[in-house]
Amino acid sequence: MSLALLLKDELNGFYRSKVMLALWVGLPAMAVLLYFLVDNIEGMSITFFTGIMVSSIGGLLTSVLIVVNILNEKEKKVYDLFLIRPIRRENLLLAKFGAVFLCVMVASFIAITLAAVLDSATEGYDVQEILSSMKDSLIITVSIMAINCSAGVLIGVFSPSVLVGVLLVLFGSNQLSSMVLLPMITGWGEMWMVGLASIGISALLLFVAALVFRHKEF
Amino acid sequence: MVSVRGIYKRYKDLPVLLNLSFDIPKGSIFGYIGPNGSGKTTTIKIMTGLIRDFQGEVSIEGRSIRNWSSELSSTIGYLPQQTSLQEWRTVDQTLYTFGRLSGLQASEVDKRIKEVTEMLGIAEYRKRKVSKLSGGTLQKVGMAQAMLHRPKLMVLDEPVAGLDPESRVLFKNLFRQLSREGTTIFFSSHILSDIEDVADTIGILGQGRMRYMGSMEELRERVGRSTEVSLETVEPIPDDRLLESLPGVSKVERVADNRFHIILQENGQIDTVVDSAIRAVLAQGLHIRGIHPNRQSLESLYLSYTDGEGRP
Repeated sequence: MSLALLLKDELNGFYRSKVMLALWVGLPAMAVLLYFLVDNIEGMSITFFTGIMVSSIGGLLTSVLIVVNILNEKEKKVYDLFLIRPIRRENLLLAKFGAVFLCVMVASFIAITLAAVLDSATEGYDVQEILSSMKDSLIITVSIMAINCSAGVLIGVFSPSVLVGVLLVLFGSNQLSSMVLLPMITGWGEMWMVGLASIGISALLLFVAALVFRHKEF
Repeated sequence: MVSVRGIYKRYKDLPVLLNLSFDIPKGSIFGYIGPNGSGKTTTIKIMTGLIRDFQGEVSIEGRSIRNWSSELSSTIGYLPQQTSLQEWRTVDQTLYTFGRLSGLQASEVDKRIKEVTEMLGIAEYRKRKVSKLSGGTLQKVGMAQAMLHRPKLMVLDEPVAGLDPESRVLFKNLFRQLSREGTTIFFSSHILSDIEDVADTIGILGQGRMRYMGSMEELRERVGRSTEVSLETVEPIPDDRLLESLPGVSKVERVADNRFHIILQENGQIDTVVDSAIRAVLAQGLHIRGIHPNRQSLESLYLSYTDGEGRP
């Protein structure tokens, strides 16, 4: 019960936050901008390219958002009133992860769909090609966002200050999330491997974060 | 209701609590007082399960807090020193979430929110965002979340600090009402006047140890006792030994040539000392301008408990 309630609460908080408002507008706007600004992307469709850009920029912003949020709440002792209640401590983190991930995925989906519509209207791709491109874009986006969100949670739990947290995001989670694209870029892997790897990495990061948070003293 | 036995807690090399033990009877109002940094908040965080790394034993209603459980946490209501809430929520959303997390049914939560917000005079702020509340109102929202689920034990860390006089009275009346209804209240303060008119048992913490524990009446009895006599003569008294040699006198502090504080021995009788001091001065051919016993104030008694020695 507590996880569902906390998730609903966090969703309620995040979808109206300033950063999320920027992502709601910014990510779809990015798709349109890329369509007008980018001419030839080495044979990539705008849909696919949008997926990479959205996940890269959106992922970075998302992990910074989570880190700053967790660190601020830790510093202000917001968690005290939750932790004395009969809930599982890790549910606080899972709810935060779930809320941000869901919000940012909806924004990304809107951006990718918009790019696919533009692709289909102007480049003359058939439905099959568009759907395939969308699928690949979504897998990449989901993978990168999941890693960024879970890394944000872990860094938020560990980090002693916002500055250290943001630096760790810039030089840690962003690089880590980019690594899952390696199988696709080098050509020795399939797209499903990217998805699988990201699920594994995200689960591991969340597990470590939950373990630390469960034993943390506030 | 609450049993605290032999608590030791240190932060790295800094000892905070040293063999702290006390009991709180069911339904009582326990005022926990001590200077800043004496370990009050640490004690509270141990009692509420927020600090788990400590030596000793704490049990609430016979259940050890080492085995933290849903039942145990449902019996506790907690108000931290600074009420920090997620700022994007409204007062209603905040209380709804805390009520539900504390085990109240959805149908019951709304009714309870209405009750406690009216009780605390914050019903008009229910739809307002937490970030838009004043410090005092935020403190009342904090109090509301602590009592929402009708806990058997309320642990309140400096609940009246920062409140205006009207709100202080409101909180104190609320403590009395909750106590009458059977709720045990443990609250801390570093200001004695905050607890003296509401707590029926007080514990004075000084340098990590319980320096005094007992009823307010017992403490007040100690306060009434005179332990010092002030003497002023017209002419200077050349030698302190004239007063120091009197029976029942512990020591004499010279404030000026003709003004003295005569400190009584622990069993010294005030009337005997005053009488013999008058006789001794007059026998020297000197004149007395004034002599009167000094009563120890509650505040000075408290300070004497919390100093290095921890003895009055």
